[in-house]
Amino acid sequence: MLAERIAEIVGRDHCITDAAELETYSCDGLTHRRVRPAVVALPATTEEVAAVVLAAREAGVPIVPRGSGTGLSGGALPVEGCVLVGLSRMNRILEVDLENGRARVQPGVTNLSVTAAVAASGWYYAPDPSSQSVCSIGGNVAENSGGAHCLKYGFTVNHVLSARVVLDGGEVVEIGGPSLDPVGYDLLAPLVGSEGMFGIVTEVTLRLLRKPEATRTFLAVFPSTTEAGNAVSGIIGAGILPAAIEMMDALAIQAAKAATGLAWPDEGAILLMDADGPAAEAEDTAARAVEIARAAGATLVRLPADDAERDLMWKGRKCAFAAVGRISPSYLVEDGVIPRSEIARVLAEIAAMAGAAGLRVANVFHAGDGNLHPLVLYDERIPGQLQAAEKLGADILALCVRCGGSITGEHGVGNEKAQAMSLMFSADDLDAMSAVRCAFDPALRFNPGKVFPTPRLCGETPGPYRPHPAELAGQAERW
Amino acid sequence: MAGEAARPGEAGDAIGGVIPRAVHAPASVAEAAEVLRSAAAARQRLAFLGGGTDLGTGAAPAALDAVVRTARLARIVEYAPSDQIVVAEAGVTLAALQAALGRERQRLALDPPWPERATLGGVVAANAYGALRTRYGSVRDLLIGATLVRAEGTVVKSGGKVVKNVAGFDVARLMVGSLGTLAMVAVANFRVHPLPEVVETVVVPGLAPGAVWGLVRALRGARLEPAATAALGAVARLDLGVRFEGFEKGVRDQAARAVEIAAAAGHDPVRGEAAAAFWGRHDARRRAGPVRLRVQAVPAALEAVARAALAPLEALLADAGVVWYPALGTGFVSGAPAAPAELAGAVAGARRALAAAGGTLTVAAAPAELAPAPDPWGPQPPAFALMRALKERFDPERRLAPGRFVGGL
Repeated sequence: MLAERIAEIVGRDHCITDAAELETYSCDGLTHRRVRPAVVALPATTEEVAAVVLAAREAGVPIVPRGSGTGLSGGALPVEGCVLVGLSRMNRILEVDLENGRARVQPGVTNLSVTAAVAASGWYYAPDPSSQSVCSIGGNVAENSGGAHCLKYGFTVNHVLSARVVLDGGEVVEIGGPSLDPVGYDLLAPLVGSEGMFGIVTEVTLRLLRKPEATRTFLAVFPSTTEAGNAVSGIIGAGILPAAIEMMDALAIQAAKAATGLAWPDEGAILLMDADGPAAEAEDTAARAVEIARAAGATLVRLPADDAERDLMWKGRKCAFAAVGRISPSYLVEDGVIPRSEIARVLAEIAAMAGAAGLRVANVFHAGDGNLHPLVLYDERIPGQLQAAEKLGADILALCVRCGGSITGEHGVGNEKAQAMSLMFSADDLDAMSAVRCAFDPALRFNPGKVFPTPRLCGETPGPYRPHPAELAGQAERW
Repeated sequence: MAGEAARPGEAGDAIGGVIPRAVHAPASVAEAAEVLRSAAAARQRLAFLGGGTDLGTGAAPAALDAVVRTARLARIVEYAPSDQIVVAEAGVTLAALQAALGRERQRLALDPPWPERATLGGVVAANAYGALRTRYGSVRDLLIGATLVRAEGTVVKSGGKVVKNVAGFDVARLMVGSLGTLAMVAVANFRVHPLPEVVETVVVPGLAPGAVWGLVRALRGARLEPAATAALGAVARLDLGVRFEGFEKGVRDQAARAVEIAAAAGHDPVRGEAAAAFWGRHDARRRAGPVRLRVQAVPAALEAVARAALAPLEALLADAGVVWYPALGTGFVSGAPAAPAELAGAVAGARRALAAAGGTLTVAAAPAELAPAPDPWGPQPPAFALMRALKERFDPERRLAPGRFVGGL
């Protein structure tokens, strides 16, 4: 029995087979899609992960890796009969090397606890998804997570130096290295964002950054998203690179106020911007941006009096997704990207589409990089409304692609958007992606059913070996 | 075949001393695809050639039937200044791209040597970089997508035209540093940045490696954010250049603070005219040869790296010099072989010393007549089996620059 074997490997307490307990693992943050795994393994070491992988392989069963399960695209959605490998017990920070600005961590460590471990020394880990207090580094690596500050600081892929990965054969491989430009192909580039489909990451070396000397935050209120969008274009056009520049529309403002008690005015749009860097630079940059926001039609600009007020402003933004729960029984979180210059036009079109569908859409998003998060509000008690909301979400993504954008800026494709991949990529494009996956996992053991709109096979590994004429002529040798 | 007929290869088309029988110069992605399809049908071995600025990297290909030059793939396909992205064909030179971006007061924040010759395709394939990497990262941090032509001639896209995008596996970034051994990079999509309003450099001359690291660490401790830091000169006596870029107030303030920090450490920093010549010297050293070795290590190990790896190499070179990017832990040693017979051994020795500092060394350029020739790559990396599997998936017949990459890939 596979479950027996897994219990031997990870210990009975860390092998879950009880139906009620398995239900906990039947979905991630995309809660309306659920599949119960056959068994859940909660390994504590790389060796245990490798042994579990081998056991699943021997049983011919797929493996679905899972971090904290906060993903919003169903990237950790189990498949029938799978072994779900939960990495929450591998939650240690193994080594902090501030001289070199690096930390080696296990995948179950939460994003924020990396920063917490080094904050007292004036360092931090830059990628900051809104779920950072609970989401795991392993999940961040799988989804190439971003956050509000990635316009200036980049995504997970820009902050991972190396990773230890367990492959289908149970081999443990080091990818990347302690210094930059490790010799060979840049395997880390596709590994980060591989959505758990290449193997199981059991250790990650992260790049840490010095906390900027100063951060200047301001909040600007606009009559509508059009003026706010113009302000964003103006700020970026002036050569300013904000650390973050976030927009919320009227409905999102209403929700955030309901959740936090913030005394924000009921207006059409709010911009929240961070300028950071050396003090003189942050000060100057923020002052320039405020001027541009006013010229673009801001009716009110508020500078926080202290850190507490700043934190509150950001709390309003970061809790906005959850806050929407206050004004709607259910909602879908979308994640599309458009060219920044199209913001005003696309928001107007989304509003029109929502009107036609008889649904409400709240918008909370990373305006600096055009990463929209339309929240499609619906009531599941009303028959057909979930389907209508899903259809509207898909239509919004199609709109993003028509504008030259993407179906996902940071949540990943997962299970939810696998079909939408066809909007962006041709069968040949997908073949190239599949080729990379097949190099890592030719048996397609890991996390099947994600990313690709239709199942793909790896086919025969090329061979049998035929010597090349150059080899026969002694001009070359087989690697 | 579409486009111009192939012409016979000449010495100027050689890669690693291997002269191809034919040279193609497709003028569009479609023509490039046609060239690759025909070559696949004839089972020809190919290599891609841009400005030829990094041809010294890697081993000589086992054999070449044809070279595909990208010179006529010279169009900027799309440039959206307000979205800060540019899409350009592989043969566009860095200088031509920067000129176009400069008209909108923007730039691609990549500054490898020979911008007049270096092409975008080549910069991607060779993972070429300059001092701006300090602040903006390398090719992989700025490349947001690509159009590739695969070995059998299929045109594929990866990534996109927006900065933030996680749709699908990142095949484009995988091409960075792959030396054209997986596919042809036909079009590259980049994120671009605004040109700074003001640039100022502070130079701190005559530092030992330990002092370079100490100062870079002190600047970091003070939370200054240079756009570029580079140490230049002889290993034992390096001049540290620290460049600040941005809006006037921030730049002047940071430069003044950098001067204070350096002076407080007992050094003699200079600003203004006296510092202005630094980057010209830097660029000249980056172009220096004919031996040029690319070195990487964890940044804090600079003193040990200088002693155990950089100095012994420098000692075997005439007109030797070092460019080191201390914040990154990367750099180059260059010069003319003064003790040619000992160089290959010294390269191997430096690799062993670097391994202790998590580092590596690759040969960026070496004269063909050097005997014994230094190993261009050094030991196989730990994930070599995966790299080989990847090569098998992308180029199963091993026709793309066969043997040029690590471990004979």
